[in-house]
Amino acid sequence: MKQFFDDLAASTEARFLDHHTARLRFTLENARLCQRLYSGTHRLAWCGVCAPFDLLNAMGISSCFIEFLGAVLAATGSAGQFLEEAEHAGFLADSCGWHRAVIGAAAKGMMPVPDVMIATSSPCTGGVAAVEHLARTFGCPLYVLAIPPDDSESSIRYLADQIRHMVAFVSAHTGEALDDDRLRYAMHKTNEAREAAIEVFCLAQRTPSPVRAADLRNFGITLPLFLGTEAAVEIARAYRDDFSARLDQGISGVPGERFRLLWLQEAIQFRHPLIKMLEQDYQASIVVEELDDIYWEPIDVEDPYIGLAQRMIAFPFNGSADHRLKHIKKLVQAYKIDGAINPCHWGCRQGTGARGLINEALRELDVPVINLEVDCADSRNFSEGQLRTRLEAFIEVLGSRPGRRSTN
Amino acid sequence: MYYLGVDLGSLSCDAVLLDHEGQIMAASVVPTGARNREAIARATQEVLDMARISEAEIKATVSTGYGRDRVEGRLAAVTEITCHARGAQALLPGTQVLIDIGGQDSKAIRLDGGGRVLEFAMNDKCAAGTGRFLEAMARALQVDIGELCELDRGAARNLTLSSMCTVFAESEVVSLIADGVEVNEIVAGLNRAIASRIAALVKRVAPDVAGLKVAMSGGVAHNGGVVRALSSALNAEISVPRQPDTVGALGAALVARERVLP
Repeated sequence: MKQFFDDLAASTEARFLDHHTARLRFTLENARLCQRLYSGTHRLAWCGVCAPFDLLNAMGISSCFIEFLGAVLAATGSAGQFLEEAEHAGFLADSCGWHRAVIGAAAKGMMPVPDVMIATSSPCTGGVAAVEHLARTFGCPLYVLAIPPDDSESSIRYLADQIRHMVAFVSAHTGEALDDDRLRYAMHKTNEAREAAIEVFCLAQRTPSPVRAADLRNFGITLPLFLGTEAAVEIARAYRDDFSARLDQGISGVPGERFRLLWLQEAIQFRHPLIKMLEQDYQASIVVEELDDIYWEPIDVEDPYIGLAQRMIAFPFNGSADHRLKHIKKLVQAYKIDGAINPCHWGCRQGTGARGLINEALRELDVPVINLEVDCADSRNFSEGQLRTRLEAFIEVLGSRPGRRSTN
Repeated sequence: MYYLGVDLGSLSCDAVLLDHEGQIMAASVVPTGARNREAIARATQEVLDMARISEAEIKATVSTGYGRDRVEGRLAAVTEITCHARGAQALLPGTQVLIDIGGQDSKAIRLDGGGRVLEFAMNDKCAAGTGRFLEAMARALQVDIGELCELDRGAARNLTLSSMCTVFAESEVVSLIADGVEVNEIVAGLNRAIASRIAALVKRVAPDVAGLKVAMSGGVAHNGGVVRALSSALNAEISVPRQPDTVGALGAALVARERVLP
């Protein structure tokens, strides 16, 4: 794995030198993170999705949510063997593919042993259980951040205290301290990246949008891994500049954009032709993924813990489904969405449980939704023809709506 | 000039030929088998022969079904959701809920009453309740699939099958036969199980079908037992066109004609 990520980083860097695109800049940083995770020389923390990575970055800890590795394995076409390994160990084949993939990778010795693990109770309890399982597998210390579902003052204080304790816990187990200057610098960088990301999303909302689905895939969920560092700022600014340039030149992400789509939850990570089909055959553009948003206020550089707690609580998948629905509705209106695609990631009770509520919420806005049934990590259960028919029929429905030129 | 619709499904390949006025000239249903191209050629040739015209007289062809992209020389490929809706509207005007059960998938389609699709739902990752499922059950019962249609008559036990998984249900059917349960009771139980599953699909697009015009298309609509069970499960009358398995091909032919004569 180490050699693979070294090669990936080197080849991506070479491509980036030839083509200075934001997507390649982002891909390069992801590859470099994988390099660090597998280097064997960096302090390492495997985490839940909502962990405060800017603090860990400030402490010099290479950190990552475990689902990221599941996505990398799926994207490289190697997840199958790890999914099978987890199934052989007794994990159900219809449980979450992200978690099965990393549990299998750990069992096969293909996941580096961390110094600490930090679980987050949001976005899902399955994630907490997976992190706890891995912590036992690795025999490493575990800290669980219990994220309250509401943003009351007491809840925010409760979580802020936990984050402080988490820093002390990580410091105790890694020997890496968090001094005030490094903390202040990290929070400045977080806020700078936030500002640039807001500009990126504002540009993405334009009609026609400068976004191609491949540009921002996983951007919203993965950018937080680089918060607190210059890399996050550079990535966000690179996207801002790319999109600005496209708009200045009158270039839309999908030429002849006819349909603006919202992709809910997370992207399908293994290779498949469906997005290309939507863009090329139907001029249907996925202009936003559900987590492509800045939903939090700037962090107070002098007293960051309250702001970090507020950010974690505001995560769109945290708390009640109503919180998530309000966020989805906000995106639909901001991006002038024609239709939404809900992959209903197989095995995600959190995601599929809200499916009916999402349908209802979007129906109120007169926005149709197509529900797929796909394991975004497991290509072994991917039926291209079935999903293609659903998506093509969905586009036909969108095209036949009053005020639209028929696609039939 | 004539317009051809070809519906290449997993079990059958259907073709419908329309004349310039949109009247049905001929319809054909052939087994798909392992060679798609041969099935397409055979179904096409059959309608040409029936109408006594040559292929050169076809102005436009639209394909549909899971193999829609394999039909050569097509003007367009359109999904079976849209095509079944168009076909149903032509045969049963005013249809508001259309249930299409094909060889490997089932669909519930909500229409606006004028043939436009408002919403649709398809079966999840499972062939339970589809034509393939019925084929497997007919095999287990050692009857011809055509015979299943009336075999539920006279059943009175309200037998319930515990599994809709095709493999498990087949085993269960074999066990019931071994236990001496009458075939009509087993078939009625199967029909109720399919109807329950399809009714759940229908409710995703039409939570209450009361007062709505419900129709059924696809090969399984030939099975009167399933239609009766579904009608009971939905508490609604279900209209079935005379040739339900060619509704998709008819819709495709209508789309072909509309594209040429907008």
